[in-house]
Amino acid sequence: MIEKDFSLHPYFKNMAGIGSELARTLKKNVEELKEQEALIAQEVERVKQNGKATEAMNEKGEWTAWQRLKYLVDPGTWCPLHTIYDPLENEEGNTGVIDGIGRIGGKWAVIIASNNKVMAGAWLSGQADNVLRVTDMAKLLHLPLVWVLNCSGAKLMEQERLYANRRGSGTPFFRHAELQKLGIPIIVGIYGTNPAGGGYHALRPTVLIGHKKCNMAVGGAGLVSGMAPKGYIDEEVAEALIDATKKFKATPPGRVEIHHSGTGFIREVCDTEEEVLDEIKRYLGTLPSYDAEFFRVGEPTEPKYPVSDLYSLIPLNQKRIYSMPDVLARLFDGSEHLEFRPDYGPEIYCGLAKIDGYLCGFVANNQGGLGTGYPDYGEYDGIGGKLYREGLIKMNEFVTLCGRDRIPMIWVQDTTGIDVGDTAEQAEMLGLGMSLIYSIEQSETPMMTIVLRKGTAAAHYVLGGPQANNNNVFTLGTAATEIYVMHGETAAAASYARRLLKDREDGKPLDGTIGKMNKIISQYNKKSRPVYCAKKGFVDEIVAMPELRNYCRAFVGAYYQNPRSICAVHQMLTPRLIKG
Amino acid sequence: MGELISPMAGRVQEIHVTAGQMITEDDELFIIEAMKMENAVYGDPGIVKEVLVKVGDKVEEDDVLAIIE
Repeated sequence: MIEKDFSLHPYFKNMAGIGSELARTLKKNVEELKEQEALIAQEVERVKQNGKATEAMNEKGEWTAWQRLKYLVDPGTWCPLHTIYDPLENEEGNTGVIDGIGRIGGKWAVIIASNNKVMAGAWLSGQADNVLRVTDMAKLLHLPLVWVLNCSGAKLMEQERLYANRRGSGTPFFRHAELQKLGIPIIVGIYGTNPAGGGYHALRPTVLIGHKKCNMAVGGAGLVSGMAPKGYIDEEVAEALIDATKKFKATPPGRVEIHHSGTGFIREVCDTEEEVLDEIKRYLGTLPSYDAEFFRVGEPTEPKYPVSDLYSLIPLNQKRIYSMPDVLARLFDGSEHLEFRPDYGPEIYCGLAKIDGYLCGFVANNQGGLGTGYPDYGEYDGIGGKLYREGLIKMNEFVTLCGRDRIPMIWVQDTTGIDVGDTAEQAEMLGLGMSLIYSIEQSETPMMTIVLRKGTAAAHYVLGGPQANNNNVFTLGTAATEIYVMHGETAAAASYARRLLKDREDGKPLDGTIGKMNKIISQYNKKSRPVYCAKKGFVDEIVAMPELRNYCRAFVGAYYQNPRSICAVHQMLTPRLIKG
Repeated sequence: MGELISPMAGRVQEIHVTAGQMITEDDELFIIEAMKMENAVYGDPGIVKEVLVKVGDKVEEDDVLAIIE
């Protein structure tokens, strides 16, 4: 008989409870948050409906990218990212790719598909940065990257917005090479016509699977036909082009006859849409991964309290306080945790919890009053959401320990910034904030961040923000998210207080300056809201409250699938330091 | 008969009840503002017998805001 239990089970079985049952349903707050989520859902739907009609494509025997992903990804595991990302405000409303994290045949992968509904999957402005975000995710999580490729090449009418530059459309080619150098496989299924940029897209992966009608080439058929040596177009050239186009019967270069039978670049040629995706699934099955049991420290358990409680727990009104432990209780397995230094740095929560049975470190901004006498260096009472000396020291310690113990981290931000003023400067806020950045960087630990409500000032950076390019895998927002360097009213005061004084001293009316101040406030409000944050890439996706735990599960499960380095659970220091 | 107390020191920013009003546990009764943050105060179900504060009053933690019966 084999007696079996998890490593270090006395620490992780029956941990302390966190949070409490929902005291009341805040109907107005629930409605307002859901209204915001409906606005975001409208934006997502707009992107999905953009371009050719699904029915028209299906009639021609072609699936849309959305249909391909639905077939490819295990049901219930798809966590979309960058759905409405459109930093350069394209007329198409997105960057021409659809991506996210999901499981294929039980294995987590970073997945990206050409949006073939729009300009046959063309490279659009902002797509290069979107792809770089995707390759970064694969790199940080050491996760296979899957491409469902169908790319007609660059949108030629706006090449100056997308072709050149340091982070232009060629940069992802090098990033894909880097992934393979790091031992991260890339699997691609190729559909349709993929000339020029599309062709290079196609050749980046480790394994290529082609649909029978696909082609990929350095240049497309159109390029071969239409040279205009005059340097401009006149009637004569236009007539010549019309004639040439009428006579042009060439099939596109780089078909499967060339790249399967000839060069052998494409391994498999498939007759149907499904077969291409089935082959991707088959290759995913051949890739190395740990069984879930290997790293788990407990059986997966749902939180004790429903995640839908978050609608009542998180006030949309940014001035309202709430209980962060109650929020975390809706994310943690069994609503249990091990809190790190609960009697030190009360503005910050640090602790270990299980997500799907895996160990994860959490850092979050406690909310509300912190009691008199804190911070001890100031003659004022501290308030949750701000960062003070002890909280910054505690986070530095916790991040360093998680890095040492190879525990992934999730940050839950709702911050108004770092404490300011001479007493705060004397208490080393500036140095401790930068120390936290160093601690994050040196930890080499993958992190996920939820900007639950406010992401403000430098605190948005130091709390595991998306600026931590070598750690932050992705950042989520919610219907309550606002991200800005400071509150609009604060910014208006900072920008115009002296002008107001001067107006008064000069005997001028204040209306003009007041108008400018209100304009700033209005702009801040408009440009800090969830949809704007997602479009500009301040966050990687706005997620409905009930979905937050699913993204935590995806992140943590993906991290433990094939980590680059491991720490034996019984060799970890963090739980021992918590227990004492 | 119960006393509804302020959970924190601050200033009474909003009052959403009057004497004689029936309340439920989900009703937001008072907003106490402190350090630019708002704290909603809720009570047990019952009838408001008396409101003991007015908007703008400064209150300390545990000060009685209203009597509920």
